[in-house]
Amino acid sequence: MSAASERAARLATLPFESASTSGVGHFTGFFRSIGELWVQRELMGLLVRRELKAKYKDSSLGFAWTLIRPLVMLLIYYFAIGKILGAERAIPSYAIFVFSGLTIWGLFAAIVSSGTSSIIANAGLIKKVYLPREIFPLAATGSAIVDFLSQFAILVIATLALRQPPLHFELLGIFPALAVTVVYGTAIGILLSALNVYLRDVQYLVEVGLNIFFWVSPIVYSFAFVHNAILSTGHPILEQIYLANPMSVAMLTFQRAMWIAGQDPSAHTLYPPNLDLRLLIMLVIGLVFLAIVQRIFSRLQGNFAQEI
Amino acid sequence: MSMSTTTSTTDVIRIENVSKRFVLHKDKSLKERLVNFGRSRAHKDDFWALRDVDFSIQSGTSVGLVGANGSGKSTLLKAIGGIITPTTGQVLRRGRLAALLELGAGFHPDLTGRENVYLNAAILGLTHDQVDGYFDSIVEFSEIGGFIDTQVKFYSSGMYVRLAFAIAVHVDPDILLVDEVLAVGDEPFQKKCMDKIAEFQREGRTIVFVSHSAEQIMALCDRVVVLQHGNVVFDGDTEPGIAALRRSFDH
Repeated sequence: MSAASERAARLATLPFESASTSGVGHFTGFFRSIGELWVQRELMGLLVRRELKAKYKDSSLGFAWTLIRPLVMLLIYYFAIGKILGAERAIPSYAIFVFSGLTIWGLFAAIVSSGTSSIIANAGLIKKVYLPREIFPLAATGSAIVDFLSQFAILVIATLALRQPPLHFELLGIFPALAVTVVYGTAIGILLSALNVYLRDVQYLVEVGLNIFFWVSPIVYSFAFVHNAILSTGHPILEQIYLANPMSVAMLTFQRAMWIAGQDPSAHTLYPPNLDLRLLIMLVIGLVFLAIVQRIFSRLQGNFAQEI
Repeated sequence: MSMSTTTSTTDVIRIENVSKRFVLHKDKSLKERLVNFGRSRAHKDDFWALRDVDFSIQSGTSVGLVGANGSGKSTLLKAIGGIITPTTGQVLRRGRLAALLELGAGFHPDLTGRENVYLNAAILGLTHDQVDGYFDSIVEFSEIGGFIDTQVKFYSSGMYVRLAFAIAVHVDPDILLVDEVLAVGDEPFQKKCMDKIAEFQREGRTIVFVSHSAEQIMALCDRVVVLQHGNVVFDGDTEPGIAALRRSFDH
Protein backbone atom coordinates (compact mmCIF):
# COMPACT_ATOMS: atom_id res chain seq x y z
CA MET A 1 0.00 0.00 0.00
CA SER A 2 2.70 2.45 0.95
CA ALA A 3 4.72 1.42 -2.09
CA ALA A 4 1.72 2.36 -4.20
CA SER A 5 1.25 5.78 -2.70
CA GLU A 6 4.99 6.41 -2.82
CA ARG A 7 4.97 5.65 -6.50
CA ALA A 8 1.94 7.90 -7.04
CA ALA A 9 3.67 10.71 -5.15
CA ARG A 10 6.82 10.32 -7.25
CA LEU A 11 4.83 10.23 -10.48
CA ALA A 12 2.91 13.34 -9.44
CA THR A 13 6.18 15.29 -9.54
CA LEU A 14 7.02 14.23 -13.10
CA PRO A 15 5.98 16.42 -16.02
CA PHE A 16 3.59 15.07 -18.65
CA GLU A 17 5.11 14.21 -21.98
CA SER A 18 3.45 13.62 -25.31
CA ALA A 19 3.37 9.94 -26.21
CA SER A 20 4.52 10.61 -29.76
CA THR A 21 7.14 12.89 -31.18
CA SER A 22 5.20 13.90 -34.27
CA GLY A 23 3.16 17.04 -34.21
CA VAL A 24 5.53 19.20 -32.16
CA GLY A 25 7.22 22.15 -33.82
CA HIS A 26 9.96 21.36 -36.31
CA PHE A 27 12.73 23.07 -34.43
CA THR A 28 11.98 21.64 -30.98
CA GLY A 29 10.99 18.33 -32.57
CA PHE A 30 14.37 18.00 -34.21
CA PHE A 31 16.29 18.48 -30.99
CA ARG A 32 13.91 16.25 -29.08
CA SER A 33 14.51 13.47 -31.60
CA ILE A 34 18.25 13.92 -31.37
CA GLY A 35 17.97 13.73 -27.58
CA GLU A 36 15.92 10.55 -27.76
CA LEU A 37 18.45 8.97 -30.07
CA TRP A 38 21.27 9.96 -27.76
CA VAL A 39 19.50 8.25 -24.85
CA GLN A 40 19.18 5.11 -26.98
CA ARG A 41 22.80 4.98 -28.14
CA GLU A 42 23.46 1.79 -26.18
CA LEU A 43 20.55 0.09 -27.94
CA MET A 44 21.89 1.35 -31.26
CA GLY A 45 25.20 -0.39 -30.52
CA LEU A 46 23.33 -3.62 -29.74
CA LEU A 47 21.34 -3.37 -32.96
CA VAL A 48 24.52 -2.88 -34.97
CA ARG A 49 26.05 -5.91 -33.31
CA ARG A 50 22.88 -7.91 -33.90
CA GLU A 51 22.95 -7.05 -37.58
CA LEU A 52 26.60 -8.04 -37.95
CA LYS A 53 26.23 -11.21 -35.91
CA ALA A 54 23.06 -12.38 -37.58
CA LYS A 55 24.28 -11.62 -41.10
CA TYR A 56 26.84 -14.41 -41.31
CA LYS A 57 25.81 -16.51 -38.31
CA ASP A 58 25.43 -19.88 -39.98
CA SER A 59 27.88 -19.45 -42.86
CA SER A 60 31.20 -21.22 -42.47
CA LEU A 61 33.26 -18.36 -43.89
CA GLY A 62 31.36 -15.84 -41.77
CA PHE A 63 32.79 -12.39 -41.70
CA ALA A 64 35.16 -13.19 -44.60
CA TRP A 65 32.19 -12.74 -46.96
CA THR A 66 32.32 -9.04 -46.22
CA LEU A 67 35.74 -9.00 -47.88
CA ILE A 68 35.27 -11.61 -50.58
CA ARG A 69 32.61 -9.67 -52.47
CA PRO A 70 34.57 -6.42 -52.92
CA LEU A 71 37.74 -8.35 -53.73
CA VAL A 72 35.95 -10.22 -56.49
CA MET A 73 34.58 -6.92 -57.81
CA LEU A 74 38.11 -5.57 -57.74
CA LEU A 75 39.40 -8.49 -59.80
CA ILE A 76 36.59 -8.13 -62.33
CA TYR A 77 37.15 -4.43 -62.88
CA TYR A 78 40.90 -4.81 -62.81
CA PHE A 79 40.87 -7.34 -65.64
CA ALA A 80 37.86 -6.18 -67.64
CA ILE A 81 38.42 -2.46 -67.56
CA GLY A 82 42.04 -2.13 -66.52
CA LYS A 83 43.58 -4.83 -68.72
CA ILE A 84 41.12 -5.52 -71.51
CA LEU A 85 39.72 -2.03 -72.10
CA GLY A 86 43.14 -0.61 -71.29
CA ALA A 87 42.24 1.94 -68.61
CA GLU A 88 45.44 0.84 -66.90
CA ARG A 89 47.53 2.72 -69.47
CA ALA A 90 46.05 6.07 -68.48
CA ILE A 91 45.72 5.25 -64.77
CA PRO A 92 48.87 4.00 -63.02
CA SER A 93 48.39 1.48 -60.18
CA TYR A 94 44.90 0.88 -61.48
CA ALA A 95 44.20 -1.79 -58.83
CA ILE A 96 44.63 0.68 -55.98
CA PHE A 97 42.70 3.34 -57.86
CA VAL A 98 39.72 1.11 -58.47
CA PHE A 99 39.77 -0.44 -55.00
CA SER A 100 39.76 3.04 -53.40
CA GLY A 101 36.68 3.89 -55.40
CA LEU A 102 35.00 0.54 -54.70
CA THR A 103 35.66 0.83 -50.98
CA ILE A 104 34.09 4.24 -50.48
CA TRP A 105 31.28 3.46 -52.93
CA GLY A 106 30.64 0.20 -51.07
CA LEU A 107 30.15 2.18 -47.88
CA PHE A 108 27.65 4.51 -49.52
CA ALA A 109 25.76 1.73 -51.30
CA ALA A 110 25.56 -0.40 -48.15
CA ILE A 111 24.25 2.50 -46.05
CA VAL A 112 21.60 3.40 -48.63
CA SER A 113 20.41 -0.09 -49.48
CA SER A 114 20.36 -1.56 -45.97
CA GLY A 115 18.96 1.73 -44.64
CA THR A 116 16.12 1.63 -47.14
CA SER A 117 14.98 -1.84 -46.10
CA SER A 118 15.69 -1.31 -42.38
CA ILE A 119 12.19 -0.20 -41.35
CA ILE A 120 10.46 -3.03 -43.20
CA ALA A 121 13.01 -5.52 -41.85
CA ASN A 122 12.17 -4.46 -38.30
CA ALA A 123 8.41 -4.40 -38.84
CA GLY A 124 7.86 -6.71 -35.87
CA LEU A 125 9.47 -4.29 -33.48
CA ILE A 126 7.96 -1.17 -35.00
CA LYS A 127 4.44 -2.50 -34.69
CA LYS A 128 4.90 -3.48 -31.07
CA VAL A 129 7.29 -1.20 -29.23
CA TYR A 130 7.85 2.51 -29.30
CA LEU A 131 11.43 3.41 -30.14
CA PRO A 132 12.71 6.42 -31.99
CA ARG A 133 12.46 4.78 -35.39
CA GLU A 134 15.45 6.59 -36.88
CA ILE A 135 17.43 4.08 -34.85
CA PHE A 136 16.93 1.39 -37.51
CA PRO A 137 18.41 3.21 -40.52
CA LEU A 138 21.12 4.52 -38.20
CA ALA A 139 21.96 1.00 -37.06
CA ALA A 140 22.19 0.05 -40.75
CA THR A 141 24.67 2.90 -41.18
CA GLY A 142 26.63 1.62 -38.19
CA SER A 143 26.98 -1.91 -39.50
CA ALA A 144 27.92 -0.58 -42.96
CA ILE A 145 30.69 1.44 -41.32
CA VAL A 146 32.03 -1.67 -39.56
CA ASP A 147 32.08 -3.55 -42.88
CA PHE A 148 33.78 -0.55 -44.48
CA LEU A 149 36.51 -0.50 -41.84
CA SER A 150 37.54 -4.07 -42.63
CA GLN A 151 37.64 -3.28 -46.37
CA PHE A 152 39.58 -0.14 -45.68
CA ALA A 153 42.12 -2.19 -43.73
CA ILE A 154 42.59 -4.38 -46.83
CA LEU A 155 43.07 -1.25 -48.92
CA VAL A 156 45.73 0.06 -46.55
CA ILE A 157 47.50 -3.32 -46.53
CA ALA A 158 47.41 -3.34 -50.34
CA THR A 159 49.02 0.11 -50.57
CA LEU A 160 51.73 -1.06 -48.18
CA ALA A 161 52.27 -4.31 -50.08
CA LEU A 162 52.61 -2.42 -53.35
CA ARG A 163 54.99 0.01 -51.65
CA GLN A 164 52.75 2.98 -52.20
CA PRO A 165 51.80 3.99 -48.65
CA PRO A 166 49.56 7.06 -48.79
CA LEU A 167 51.67 9.13 -46.46
CA HIS A 168 51.10 12.67 -47.63
CA PHE A 169 49.18 15.73 -46.54
CA GLU A 170 46.18 14.90 -48.76
CA LEU A 171 45.58 11.78 -46.67
CA LEU A 172 43.63 14.00 -44.27
CA GLY A 173 41.00 14.28 -47.02
CA ILE A 174 39.62 10.86 -46.14
CA PHE A 175 37.87 12.28 -43.08
CA PRO A 176 35.69 14.89 -44.83
CA ALA A 177 35.23 12.45 -47.74
CA LEU A 178 33.90 9.78 -45.38
CA ALA A 179 31.80 12.36 -43.54
CA VAL A 180 30.12 13.39 -46.80
CA THR A 181 29.56 9.74 -47.72
CA VAL A 182 28.04 8.88 -44.36
CA VAL A 183 25.90 12.03 -44.13
CA TYR A 184 24.38 11.69 -47.59
CA GLY A 185 24.07 7.92 -47.34
CA THR A 186 22.32 8.17 -43.97
CA ALA A 187 20.03 10.97 -45.08
CA ILE A 188 19.00 9.09 -48.21
CA GLY A 189 18.67 5.85 -46.21
CA ILE A 190 16.41 7.49 -43.61
CA LEU A 191 14.25 9.15 -46.25
CA LEU A 192 13.88 6.05 -48.40
CA SER A 193 13.27 3.75 -45.42
CA ALA A 194 10.19 5.82 -44.60
CA LEU A 195 9.00 6.04 -48.20
CA ASN A 196 9.53 2.31 -48.61
CA VAL A 197 6.86 1.68 -45.98
CA TYR A 198 4.28 3.45 -48.12
CA LEU A 199 5.56 2.37 -51.51
CA ARG A 200 7.44 -0.91 -51.72
CA ASP A 201 8.79 -0.07 -55.16
CA VAL A 202 11.36 2.12 -53.48
CA GLN A 203 13.62 -0.78 -52.55
CA TYR A 204 13.80 -1.88 -56.20
CA LEU A 205 14.26 1.66 -57.44
CA VAL A 206 17.18 1.98 -55.03
CA GLU A 207 18.97 -0.95 -56.64
CA VAL A 208 18.55 0.60 -60.07
CA GLY A 209 19.55 4.03 -58.83
CA LEU A 210 22.68 2.71 -57.11
CA ASN A 211 23.66 0.95 -60.33
CA ILE A 212 23.30 4.16 -62.30
CA PHE A 213 25.26 6.20 -59.80
CA PHE A 214 27.98 3.56 -59.66
CA TRP A 215 28.74 4.34 -63.30
CA VAL A 216 28.07 8.06 -62.93
CA SER A 217 30.70 8.33 -60.19
CA PRO A 218 34.42 8.19 -61.07
CA ILE A 219 35.04 4.70 -59.67
CA VAL A 220 36.39 2.60 -62.53
CA TYR A 221 37.42 5.57 -64.71
CA SER A 222 39.27 8.69 -63.67
CA PHE A 223 38.02 12.26 -63.69
CA ALA A 224 40.37 13.05 -66.59
CA PHE A 225 38.25 10.84 -68.87
CA VAL A 226 35.13 12.78 -67.87
CA HIS A 227 36.87 16.11 -68.36
CA ASN A 228 38.04 15.21 -71.87
CA ALA A 229 34.70 13.76 -72.83
CA ILE A 230 32.89 16.92 -71.69
CA LEU A 231 35.47 19.15 -73.39
CA SER A 232 34.74 17.49 -76.70
CA THR A 233 31.00 18.19 -76.36
CA GLY A 234 31.67 21.92 -75.97
CA HIS A 235 29.34 22.30 -72.96
CA PRO A 236 31.56 22.92 -69.91
CA ILE A 237 28.41 23.32 -67.79
CA LEU A 238 28.09 19.53 -67.92
CA GLU A 239 31.18 19.26 -65.77
CA GLN A 240 29.52 21.32 -63.05
CA ILE A 241 26.50 19.06 -63.22
CA TYR A 242 28.78 16.05 -62.96
CA LEU A 243 30.41 17.52 -59.86
CA ALA A 244 27.04 18.28 -58.26
CA ASN A 245 26.98 14.61 -57.29
CA PRO A 246 28.34 14.61 -53.71
CA MET A 247 29.66 11.08 -54.13
CA SER A 248 31.83 12.18 -57.08
CA VAL A 249 33.45 14.89 -54.99
CA ALA A 250 33.89 12.61 -51.96
CA MET A 251 35.33 9.87 -54.15
CA LEU A 252 37.82 12.16 -55.88
CA THR A 253 39.06 13.38 -52.50
CA PHE A 254 39.30 9.82 -51.24
CA GLN A 255 41.22 8.67 -54.32
CA ARG A 256 43.57 11.64 -54.06
CA ALA A 257 44.27 10.53 -50.48
CA MET A 258 44.73 6.79 -51.02
CA TRP A 259 46.03 6.49 -54.60
CA ILE A 260 49.53 7.80 -54.32
CA ALA A 261 50.53 6.86 -57.88
CA GLY A 262 48.15 9.54 -59.13
CA GLN A 263 50.34 12.19 -57.55
CA ASP A 264 53.16 11.49 -59.96
CA PRO A 265 53.36 14.27 -62.62
CA SER A 266 53.78 11.64 -65.33
CA ALA A 267 50.33 10.29 -64.47
CA HIS A 268 48.65 13.51 -65.69
CA THR A 269 45.99 13.04 -63.04
CA LEU A 270 43.29 15.62 -63.07
CA TYR A 271 41.26 16.78 -60.10
CA PRO A 272 38.62 19.50 -60.35
CA PRO A 273 39.69 22.92 -59.03
CA ASN A 274 38.84 23.77 -55.40
CA LEU A 275 38.15 20.14 -54.56
CA ASP A 276 38.41 20.72 -50.80
CA LEU A 277 36.11 23.71 -50.87
CA ARG A 278 33.58 21.77 -52.94
CA LEU A 279 33.71 18.93 -50.43
CA LEU A 280 33.18 21.29 -47.52
CA ILE A 281 30.18 22.92 -49.19
CA MET A 282 28.78 19.44 -49.91
CA LEU A 283 29.17 18.56 -46.25
CA VAL A 284 27.27 21.65 -45.07
CA ILE A 285 24.49 21.06 -47.61
CA GLY A 286 24.42 17.41 -46.56
CA LEU A 287 23.94 18.25 -42.89
CA VAL A 288 21.04 20.59 -43.72
CA PHE A 289 19.60 17.85 -45.93
CA LEU A 290 19.92 15.35 -43.06
CA ALA A 291 18.06 17.68 -40.69
CA ILE A 292 15.26 18.20 -43.22
CA VAL A 293 15.05 14.46 -43.83
CA GLN A 294 14.73 13.82 -40.11
CA ARG A 295 11.67 16.10 -39.99
CA ILE A 296 10.11 14.36 -43.00
CA PHE A 297 10.80 10.99 -41.39
CA SER A 298 9.26 12.12 -38.14
CA ARG A 299 6.11 13.18 -40.00
CA LEU A 300 5.87 9.89 -41.92
CA GLN A 301 6.64 7.58 -39.01
CA GLY A 302 3.34 8.30 -37.23
CA ASN A 303 1.58 5.78 -39.46
CA PHE A 304 4.34 3.18 -39.74
CA ALA A 305 2.66 0.75 -37.36
CA GLN A 306 -0.44 0.83 -39.52
CA GLU A 307 1.11 0.83 -42.99
CA ILE A 308 3.72 -1.88 -42.59
CA MET B 1 -11.32 -4.43 -5.47
CA SER B 2 -10.92 -0.68 -5.64
CA MET B 3 -8.14 -0.61 -3.09
CA SER B 4 -5.87 1.48 -5.27
CA THR B 5 -8.40 3.82 -6.89
CA THR B 6 -9.20 5.42 -3.58
CA THR B 7 -5.60 6.12 -2.67
CA SER B 8 -4.53 7.93 -5.80
CA THR B 9 -5.78 10.80 -7.87
CA THR B 10 -2.53 11.24 -9.72
CA ASP B 11 -3.11 11.05 -13.46
CA VAL B 12 -0.41 9.09 -15.28
CA ILE B 13 -2.09 8.95 -18.69
CA ARG B 14 -4.24 11.68 -20.19
CA ILE B 15 -5.98 10.89 -23.43
CA GLU B 16 -7.16 14.21 -24.81
CA ASN B 17 -9.71 14.19 -27.64
CA VAL B 18 -7.85 11.51 -29.51
CA SER B 19 -9.09 10.61 -32.98
CA LYS B 20 -7.34 8.36 -35.43
CA ARG B 21 -8.20 8.11 -39.10
CA PHE B 22 -6.84 5.28 -41.17
CA VAL B 23 -6.53 5.55 -44.91
CA LEU B 24 -6.60 2.23 -46.64
CA HIS B 25 -4.84 2.18 -49.98
CA LYS B 26 -5.99 -0.61 -52.17
CA ASP B 27 -3.06 -0.13 -54.53
CA LYS B 28 0.31 -0.55 -52.99
CA SER B 29 2.68 -0.54 -55.96
CA LEU B 30 3.80 2.35 -58.13
CA LYS B 31 2.33 0.80 -61.25
CA GLU B 32 -1.09 0.50 -59.69
CA ARG B 33 -0.89 4.06 -58.42
CA LEU B 34 0.07 5.40 -61.83
CA VAL B 35 -2.61 3.43 -63.57
CA ASN B 36 -5.20 4.62 -61.09
CA PHE B 37 -3.79 8.13 -60.75
CA GLY B 38 -6.85 10.07 -61.86
CA ARG B 39 -9.18 7.88 -59.90
CA SER B 40 -7.12 7.65 -56.73
CA ARG B 41 -10.13 8.76 -54.62
CA ALA B 42 -11.96 5.60 -55.55
CA HIS B 43 -8.98 3.52 -54.48
CA LYS B 44 -8.75 5.04 -51.06
CA ASP B 45 -10.90 4.15 -48.13
CA ASP B 46 -10.73 5.91 -44.87
CA PHE B 47 -12.40 5.27 -41.58
CA TRP B 48 -12.08 6.51 -38.04
CA ALA B 49 -10.60 3.90 -35.73
CA LEU B 50 -10.95 6.27 -32.78
CA ARG B 51 -13.32 9.20 -32.44
CA ASP B 52 -12.83 11.90 -29.78
CA VAL B 53 -11.67 9.54 -27.05
CA ASP B 54 -11.08 11.52 -23.91
CA PHE B 55 -10.30 10.14 -20.45
CA SER B 56 -7.54 9.89 -17.88
CA ILE B 57 -5.99 6.97 -16.08
CA GLN B 58 -4.84 7.35 -12.48
CA SER B 59 -1.72 5.92 -10.94
CA GLY B 60 -2.17 2.45 -9.48
CA THR B 61 -5.34 1.54 -11.36
CA SER B 62 -5.81 -1.46 -13.62
CA VAL B 63 -7.92 -0.51 -16.60
CA GLY B 64 -9.39 -2.95 -19.08
CA LEU B 65 -9.98 -1.73 -22.62
CA VAL B 66 -12.65 -3.95 -24.13
CA GLY B 67 -14.88 -4.05 -27.14
CA ALA B 68 -15.81 -6.13 -30.14
CA ASN B 69 -13.29 -6.82 -32.90
CA GLY B 70 -12.49 -3.61 -34.73
CA SER B 71 -13.77 -1.36 -31.96
CA GLY B 72 -10.45 0.46 -31.72
CA LYS B 73 -9.15 -0.87 -28.42
CA SER B 74 -5.80 -2.03 -29.76
CA THR B 75 -5.43 1.23 -31.68
CA LEU B 76 -6.01 3.13 -28.47
CA LEU B 77 -3.43 1.01 -26.67
CA LYS B 78 -0.94 1.74 -29.45
CA ALA B 79 -1.67 5.45 -29.23
CA ILE B 80 -0.97 5.28 -25.47
CA GLY B 81 2.26 3.43 -26.20
CA GLY B 82 3.28 6.04 -28.78
CA ILE B 83 3.41 3.43 -31.53
CA ILE B 84 0.92 5.34 -33.63
CA THR B 85 0.37 9.10 -33.70
CA PRO B 86 -3.25 10.28 -33.34
CA THR B 87 -4.70 12.22 -36.27
CA THR B 88 -6.03 14.82 -33.84
CA GLY B 89 -5.70 15.21 -30.09
CA GLN B 90 -2.85 13.91 -28.03
CA VAL B 91 -1.85 11.39 -25.42
CA LEU B 92 0.14 12.68 -22.46
CA ARG B 93 1.79 10.39 -19.96
CA ARG B 94 4.48 10.24 -17.33
CA GLY B 95 6.65 7.56 -15.80
CA ARG B 96 8.41 4.61 -17.35
CA LEU B 97 6.32 2.61 -19.76
CA ALA B 98 6.69 -1.00 -20.79
CA ALA B 99 4.49 -2.68 -23.33
CA LEU B 100 3.71 -6.38 -23.46
CA LEU B 101 2.09 -5.87 -26.82
CA GLU B 102 3.53 -8.96 -28.31
CA LEU B 103 6.04 -10.98 -26.41
CA GLY B 104 9.34 -11.56 -28.10
CA ALA B 105 8.75 -9.01 -30.85
CA GLY B 106 12.37 -7.95 -30.58
CA PHE B 107 13.87 -11.42 -30.56
CA HIS B 108 16.24 -12.31 -33.33
CA PRO B 109 16.06 -16.04 -34.13
CA ASP B 110 19.79 -16.33 -34.90
CA LEU B 111 20.95 -14.89 -31.60
CA THR B 112 21.18 -16.87 -28.37
CA GLY B 113 18.79 -16.43 -25.49
CA ARG B 114 21.44 -14.47 -23.60
CA GLU B 115 22.06 -12.07 -26.49
CA ASN B 116 18.34 -11.62 -26.95
CA VAL B 117 17.85 -10.84 -23.27
CA TYR B 118 20.29 -7.93 -23.55
CA LEU B 119 18.82 -6.74 -26.83
CA ASN B 120 15.21 -7.02 -25.76
CA ALA B 121 15.82 -5.42 -22.38
CA ALA B 122 17.57 -2.52 -24.13
CA ILE B 123 14.57 -2.16 -26.43
CA LEU B 124 12.36 -1.97 -23.35
CA GLY B 125 14.62 0.68 -21.86
CA LEU B 126 17.09 -1.05 -19.53
CA THR B 127 20.79 -0.27 -19.55
CA HIS B 128 23.46 -2.94 -19.88
CA ASP B 129 24.38 -2.65 -16.19
CA GLN B 130 20.76 -3.05 -15.10
CA VAL B 131 20.41 -6.19 -17.20
CA ASP B 132 23.60 -7.56 -15.66
CA GLY B 133 21.94 -7.14 -12.27
CA TYR B 134 18.63 -8.74 -13.31
CA PHE B 135 20.07 -11.44 -15.57
CA ASP B 136 19.98 -14.39 -13.16
CA SER B 137 16.56 -13.44 -11.96
CA ILE B 138 15.28 -13.23 -15.56
CA VAL B 139 16.65 -16.68 -16.38
CA GLU B 140 15.20 -18.10 -13.19
CA PHE B 141 11.76 -16.62 -13.80
CA SER B 142 11.73 -17.89 -17.38
CA GLU B 143 12.74 -21.44 -16.33
CA ILE B 144 14.94 -21.60 -19.43
CA GLY B 145 17.93 -22.90 -17.49
CA GLY B 146 20.78 -24.25 -19.57
CA PHE B 147 19.18 -23.30 -22.89
CA ILE B 148 20.00 -19.64 -22.33
CA ASP B 149 23.05 -19.94 -24.60
CA THR B 150 21.12 -21.68 -27.39
CA GLN B 151 19.89 -19.76 -30.42
CA VAL B 152 16.25 -18.88 -29.84
CA LYS B 153 15.17 -20.37 -33.15
CA PHE B 154 15.58 -23.74 -31.46
CA TYR B 155 13.28 -22.77 -28.58
CA SER B 156 9.79 -24.14 -28.26
CA SER B 157 7.09 -21.49 -28.47
CA GLY B 158 6.54 -21.85 -24.74
CA MET B 159 10.20 -21.17 -23.95
CA TYR B 160 10.12 -18.21 -26.30
CA VAL B 161 7.26 -16.41 -24.58
CA ARG B 162 8.45 -17.35 -21.10
CA LEU B 163 11.77 -15.69 -21.73
CA ALA B 164 10.09 -12.66 -23.28
CA PHE B 165 7.67 -12.32 -20.38
CA ALA B 166 10.49 -12.68 -17.86
CA ILE B 167 12.34 -9.79 -19.49
CA ALA B 168 9.26 -7.59 -19.66
CA VAL B 169 8.40 -7.95 -15.98
CA HIS B 170 11.93 -7.02 -14.96
CA VAL B 171 11.76 -3.65 -16.67
CA ASP B 172 10.28 -2.01 -13.54
CA PRO B 173 7.61 -0.02 -15.37
CA ASP B 174 5.27 2.56 -13.86
CA ILE B 175 2.82 1.84 -16.66
CA LEU B 176 2.39 -1.59 -18.18
CA LEU B 177 0.45 -2.07 -21.41
CA VAL B 178 -0.79 -5.61 -21.94
CA ASP B 179 -2.38 -6.83 -25.16
CA GLU B 180 -3.85 -10.33 -25.06
CA VAL B 181 -0.64 -11.96 -24.03
CA LEU B 182 -1.32 -13.41 -20.64
CA ALA B 183 -2.45 -16.75 -22.00
CA VAL B 184 1.11 -17.94 -22.51
CA GLY B 185 2.90 -21.08 -21.44
CA ASP B 186 1.53 -23.98 -19.44
CA GLU B 187 -0.77 -23.65 -16.46
CA PRO B 188 1.89 -23.24 -13.75
CA PHE B 189 3.56 -20.53 -15.78
CA GLN B 190 0.24 -18.78 -16.38
CA LYS B 191 -0.32 -18.76 -12.66
CA LYS B 192 3.14 -17.28 -12.19
CA CYS B 193 2.27 -14.52 -14.67
CA MET B 194 -0.97 -13.73 -12.88
CA ASP B 195 0.84 -13.63 -9.55
CA LYS B 196 3.36 -11.23 -11.04
CA ILE B 197 0.56 -9.00 -12.32
CA ALA B 198 -1.04 -9.05 -8.87
CA GLU B 199 2.31 -8.08 -7.35
CA PHE B 200 2.55 -5.21 -9.83
CA GLN B 201 -0.89 -4.05 -8.74
CA ARG B 202 0.12 -4.11 -5.07
CA GLU B 203 3.17 -2.05 -5.95
CA GLY B 204 0.90 0.60 -7.38
CA ARG B 205 1.87 0.19 -11.00
CA THR B 206 -0.69 1.25 -13.56
CA ILE B 207 -1.81 -1.50 -15.89
CA VAL B 208 -3.79 -1.12 -19.10
CA PHE B 209 -5.17 -4.38 -20.49
CA VAL B 210 -6.69 -5.19 -23.80
CA SER B 211 -8.50 -8.48 -23.58
CA HIS B 212 -11.38 -10.42 -25.03
CA SER B 213 -11.69 -12.52 -21.93
CA ALA B 214 -14.38 -11.17 -19.60
CA GLU B 215 -13.09 -13.56 -16.96
CA GLN B 216 -9.60 -12.09 -17.06
CA ILE B 217 -10.95 -8.55 -16.97
CA MET B 218 -13.10 -9.41 -13.94
CA ALA B 219 -10.12 -10.91 -12.17
CA LEU B 220 -7.63 -8.16 -12.86
CA CYS B 221 -9.26 -4.81 -13.52
CA ASP B 222 -10.86 -2.24 -11.27
CA ARG B 223 -12.11 -0.11 -14.17
CA VAL B 224 -13.42 -0.97 -17.60
CA VAL B 225 -13.60 1.21 -20.70
CA VAL B 226 -15.84 -0.19 -23.44
CA LEU B 227 -15.21 0.93 -26.99
CA GLN B 228 -17.56 0.60 -29.91
CA HIS B 229 -16.72 1.80 -33.43
CA GLY B 230 -14.01 4.02 -31.99
CA ASN B 231 -16.20 5.68 -29.38
CA VAL B 232 -16.18 5.19 -25.64
CA VAL B 233 -19.61 3.80 -24.77
CA PHE B 234 -18.94 2.93 -21.15
CA ASP B 235 -16.39 3.90 -18.54
CA GLY B 236 -16.72 2.67 -14.99
CA ASP B 237 -16.70 -0.31 -12.62
CA THR B 238 -15.92 -3.78 -13.83
CA GLU B 239 -19.25 -5.54 -13.48
CA PRO B 240 -21.46 -3.01 -15.26
CA GLY B 241 -18.57 -2.68 -17.74
CA ILE B 242 -18.78 -6.34 -18.68
CA ALA B 243 -22.55 -5.96 -19.03
CA ALA B 244 -22.00 -2.96 -21.32
CA LEU B 245 -19.51 -4.99 -23.35
CA ARG B 246 -22.11 -7.73 -23.85
CA ARG B 247 -24.66 -5.12 -24.97
CA SER B 248 -22.16 -3.69 -27.44
CA PHE B 249 -21.84 -7.09 -29.11
CA ASP B 250 -25.54 -6.99 -29.98
CA HIS B 251 -25.17 -3.88 -32.12
